[in-house]
Amino acid sequence: MAGADKRLVDYLARRFPLEKLSFHSLVEKKEVPVHRMSWAYYLGGLAVFFFAVQLVTGLMLLFYYEPTVSDAHASVEHVTRHVAGGFLVRNLHTWTASAMILVLLAHLLTTFAMKAFAPPRELTWVSGAVLLLLVFGFGFTGYLLPWHQIAVNATKVGLQSIEQMGAYLPAALADLPGELKELIQGGPAVGQATLSRFYAIHVVVLPLVFFAVLGLHLLSVQLHGMSQGVDRATGRSEEFFPFFVLKDFSLWGVAFLVLFVVALVLPFESFFSYPLFGAFDPMGSTPDGIKPEWYFYFVYYPLELLPFWLVALLSAGATGVLFAAPWIFRRTGRRTLRILALAAALYLVVMTLFGQTLYEVFRGGGG
Amino acid sequence: MRRMSRPATTLRLALAAALLAAAPVALAYPEFEAFVERHSGRYVNCALCHAHPDGPEGTKPGQIRSLDAEELARLNLARAAFEPGSDVDSPILNDFGDEILHRVGKRRFLEIRSTDPALLADALGTDSDLDGDGIPDATEYLEGTDPLDAQHGAPLRLLRNNLERYRFDILMIVLATACGLWGLNHLLAWAGWRFRPALRDDPPPSGGGTLP
Repeated sequence: MAGADKRLVDYLARRFPLEKLSFHSLVEKKEVPVHRMSWAYYLGGLAVFFFAVQLVTGLMLLFYYEPTVSDAHASVEHVTRHVAGGFLVRNLHTWTASAMILVLLAHLLTTFAMKAFAPPRELTWVSGAVLLLLVFGFGFTGYLLPWHQIAVNATKVGLQSIEQMGAYLPAALADLPGELKELIQGGPAVGQATLSRFYAIHVVVLPLVFFAVLGLHLLSVQLHGMSQGVDRATGRSEEFFPFFVLKDFSLWGVAFLVLFVVALVLPFESFFSYPLFGAFDPMGSTPDGIKPEWYFYFVYYPLELLPFWLVALLSAGATGVLFAAPWIFRRTGRRTLRILALAAALYLVVMTLFGQTLYEVFRGGGG
Repeated sequence: MRRMSRPATTLRLALAAALLAAAPVALAYPEFEAFVERHSGRYVNCALCHAHPDGPEGTKPGQIRSLDAEELARLNLARAAFEPGSDVDSPILNDFGDEILHRVGKRRFLEIRSTDPALLADALGTDSDLDGDGIPDATEYLEGTDPLDAQHGAPLRLLRNNLERYRFDILMIVLATACGLWGLNHLLAWAGWRFRPALRDDPPPSGGGTLP
């Protein structure tokens, strides 16, 4: 075997030690460290559980959803108003999407603060970052499917952002973002081709890719077990099976209970103005208050406030840092990582909760 | 749908025709829209009362220039509903718009428009709830929420009403979750004893033992 090949095989063998794939290792012997950050070990499992709920409720919605511009909105209205339990399934799908992204972001930040990306877990981290992007992809493509005013107009804004990148690229690459936008859009404007593509991406492409990456991520987590998490190990641990598993499942049960009750009593759409959920009419007026979902506010409000090139540059940089974190922060202490994670969390909270206020303060008007 | 008797229909059609000849074409009433937005802080559009979100003027479905003869006749009858209690089924209004004319009457409605649109809530009363979400239509009007969509309303009001409405369902899901967790606890206690050699020092959990 050539040197480079051998190095690659050795590298992968250390990241995926398949010899640990045994009943003895995974069930009889596995321990989970106990310390003041132990609660964070439950976030990944909770995100997987929310994904499972998304899958089941999404499948149920598929039985009624019509992916055509003429019928999409009506089919969603039909599910909500006339199908027994339809509003509950739809609210569950919507609320769980938000819960999954919230938990995933918390999982990302706590994993970072605990330096769980340290060798040999670099690929666990990278696959997790890919999963996060895929979940944002689910959110972006799923948002369009009800084909209401806010869905179509927010998607237009999102796709225009891709095209705008062309202005900041060298001449040889300047057309590329526009072509990418048309490729995603399926034509010169958002229409049936866009809906068909988003539908296919949302219900087939993304789930397949997600399953593959999730499989890799979970395999890696199971093979390596939970990371130490803190600088000074407490020396205490608990059996993964059955104690940690029981707590994990119990948390899932309680989370589902809470989500079920919230979906039953508090429709997600009640937080918005109703004209945003009227059927999209290409010849009609565009209602006020078009915005992306809350989990895109951290990039949406900067786009509203700062020059596009600056936000594009910062976003590209942040994405690079996200994927290269295991190598960039290889020698950084957990204390520093905690401070960085807290700063990132503060930024996300401020932009999500107070983005509109900041926009009004700096731009002096409503959004 | 409310239907009228034939003589009443003929009489009202004649009245409406006379009024139409004398009056300019009726437009939507933006005073109400402006008031609701100011009062509620929520964005609203003509779909609050009208069949089309862009209002009654135009050629799209639910707008005046799209109407056929039968729909025009219904429109004229609605325009002639000056007194409360009239049966209204206007092709350019939604059920809430029809209900306003039915409860308030066109005469009072126009008075409210020129004085204070807030009075419409009082005139509607609190016993009408077209979508059955537990929030009176008058309150939904003031709060800028959709009176025809049970999934739309002020979040806290919906929360309170739905907690009351689905009390039994919530109790059942709480019980189901508790039972599920209880069963899981026992199952895992047994499996843990069976598969973790270290735990076998303890007696088997066959007598209903649970995990600590």
